Amino acid sequence: MSGIGTSLRWAAACGTAVLLLVACGGSSNPGGTTFKGTKNIGLSIALTGQSALYGHAISQSMKLAADDINASGGINGYKINADILDDGTQVANAVNNYKSLILQDNVVAMLGTVTSAQCQAASPIAKQNKVIMIAATCNSYQLTTEPDLINPYYISVVPNTFMEGTAAGQLAAKTGAKKIFIVSPKYLFGISETNAFVAELKKVAPSANIINDPKTWYVPFPTNPRWDSTINAIQAAKPDLVYSNIFAADEINFITQALQVDPNFFQKYPMTTLASVDELQSLGSKYPLGMHLYQRAPFFALGNPSMNAFVTRYHNRYSEYPSDWAVMDYDAMMLYAKAASAAGTFDADKVRAQIVGHSFDSLRGYKFTIRAGDQQANVGETVGDTVDSGGKYPFPILGNSTNLQGDDLLMPAAIMQQLQAGQCEKTPGSANTTDFSLCPAWKNS
Amino acid sequence: MDPGKFLLFATGGLADAAYLFIVAAGLSLVFGALRVINMAHGSLYMVAALVSVIVANQLGASIGFLPALLAAVLVAASIGAVIEVTVLKRVYGHEHLVQLLATYAIALIIGGAARLIFGPNYRTTAAPVQGSLSILGYSYSLYAFVTIVAAILIGAAMYGLLFRTRLGRNIRAAVSDPELLNASGVNVTLLYTTVFVIGAGLAGLGGVIVAPSQAVDPTIGDSVLVLAFAISVIGGLGSIIGSAVGALMVGEVISFGLINPTTNSFALAFVFIVMTVVLTVRPWGLFGRPEA
Repeated sequence: MSGIGTSLRWAAACGTAVLLLVACGGSSNPGGTTFKGTKNIGLSIALTGQSALYGHAISQSMKLAADDINASGGINGYKINADILDDGTQVANAVNNYKSLILQDNVVAMLGTVTSAQCQAASPIAKQNKVIMIAATCNSYQLTTEPDLINPYYISVVPNTFMEGTAAGQLAAKTGAKKIFIVSPKYLFGISETNAFVAELKKVAPSANIINDPKTWYVPFPTNPRWDSTINAIQAAKPDLVYSNIFAADEINFITQALQVDPNFFQKYPMTTLASVDELQSLGSKYPLGMHLYQRAPFFALGNPSMNAFVTRYHNRYSEYPSDWAVMDYDAMMLYAKAASAAGTFDADKVRAQIVGHSFDSLRGYKFTIRAGDQQANVGETVGDTVDSGGKYPFPILGNSTNLQGDDLLMPAAIMQQLQAGQCEKTPGSANTTDFSLCPAWKNS
Repeated sequence: MDPGKFLLFATGGLADAAYLFIVAAGLSLVFGALRVINMAHGSLYMVAALVSVIVANQLGASIGFLPALLAAVLVAASIGAVIEVTVLKRVYGHEHLVQLLATYAIALIIGGAARLIFGPNYRTTAAPVQGSLSILGYSYSLYAFVTIVAAILIGAAMYGLLFRTRLGRNIRAAVSDPELLNASGVNVTLLYTTVFVIGAGLAGLGGVIVAPSQAVDPTIGDSVLVLAFAISVIGGLGSIIGSAVGALMVGEVISFGLINPTTNSFALAFVFIVMTVVLTVRPWGLFGRPEA
């Protein structure tokens, strides 16, 4: 009997200990902070489908940021939980996820999706429910300027398509190319960025010509995996430069197949293209050298103590290097943490007041400010040519890179205001025909 | 359209048709003999593609391709054997919905496992045959022609297997009259496992062949499954020749559908228009047989 009694006492003691651990586990961090409860920050992201690679890095970064925030005591006494749902790179799924995260999980804020088409569909849901939405990947300028999309709770910490197209136009002009061939995905992002590229090119390199017909600039998105027709169209046109903003699997497939057709393809037809650490990592040493890249936040070109510490922690935890998306989404989480802490509440209007017009630290090594009007951060773009990393990384990096200043790329305020006022539409009254180059302020500039 | 451009798009369509035929032939064979619509077929294609890239990169693309091919097909066939023995045997004879759900669940399990094991990153490998050739002013990758030749050889091997061997005779018997075959003393249980393993191996072969031309990740099986179904429906479920003709139609429809910039967004939709027309006019497919 005494044996049974001892066992029962041990069982009771162990049970109590487990219950205590469970009870404490929900409300304190390893440092011992006691939280009032948990608040969700939502993320609908592509963990499958065309942009799964980007979503993977973003979700990892968000979890790391949530852990860092909690290790510092959380926000307003609450533990932060990264509430992540897969949208399969589908617009409809993103919409459903937004509804679910906002209405069922009661998120206090949302991070943006990967594609602009998804953000375009999800933004009205965030607006209707007064939820702060911070975009760190989707970046069409229409998301903050198109009259029917204007959302006071929508914050952008990624260079938008106007800024990127402008950076790409300047980069292309530097090459001195006279004959330029355009390849771009046929949806909001591609069209928006290409328009900005062409407009900037006309300004800074008026003698350069786009040699393919505008009807052939755009390829379906997501694309058929075979790129024969585009590769051969480039060979037939013999451009001095190919400009592209294709990305993820499309960029990898295009480069892989172009190199199969001609190993010297990119020496014969140099390319200015959007890229991220993800495409560089995926192709590794097969990524051609001498490509003129523009990137949003390549860690290797933005070295600073904060970034270096982030890269080390990210690499230690995930055995990968952080992509541009990982860097920007970490910044987005930290922006929200700082603003909500300063507001002392999760109320969207009060948090928004602590965001708009305020400056925030960035892993990118500079402070950025959220401009009133379009809530766009004056974040920069990094440009340079791919070179061998000398064994430091298993992929090429940018040599002679330049970090273009966000203030030099931002859309002029007058154009932004005219866009928002509906003065720049191809068909008056039809907001989805918005184009900045139709604005009176652009025409007069 | 100038002849050079026509040939370019025709060859692009043929290269697409080549790997699609290999994948669709496996799907069609399994349906023909076992009457099972295998939703996990694309997953086997995906696993094989991933395995082949990893092995080829470990060994070096030039010497690593053949070992990678063998390893990947072996892995796909082995997974196929496990699926057939542990799951499909229990759902033969059930209505198609049960089989669909069972194989769809397997597809989700394999997809999740692949993400855990291989990670979501895109992987690439170099083609085993490098170089290009120029025809009528346009450049072609040599590997595209290798793909086309490989598909023709695999098609011929399939034909030989089905029409020149005892196993093939039994498989054809299983397609046309499984009950009679059962009564004739053939080990149908073993035959079914063999057919499913061959189908899985073909899915794997398709994955290996396409891997050097595409970014490979755990999601690449999704789109190929849809196209393989379309091909099988167009050609006729259970017909290898139907798969070849269906693949050719699908490959060319996509390739030529991409020519016109105003219609290129709908290139894939054209495939399903063709499928719908075939289903309306000849529901059993161009080379299939109506079920008794």
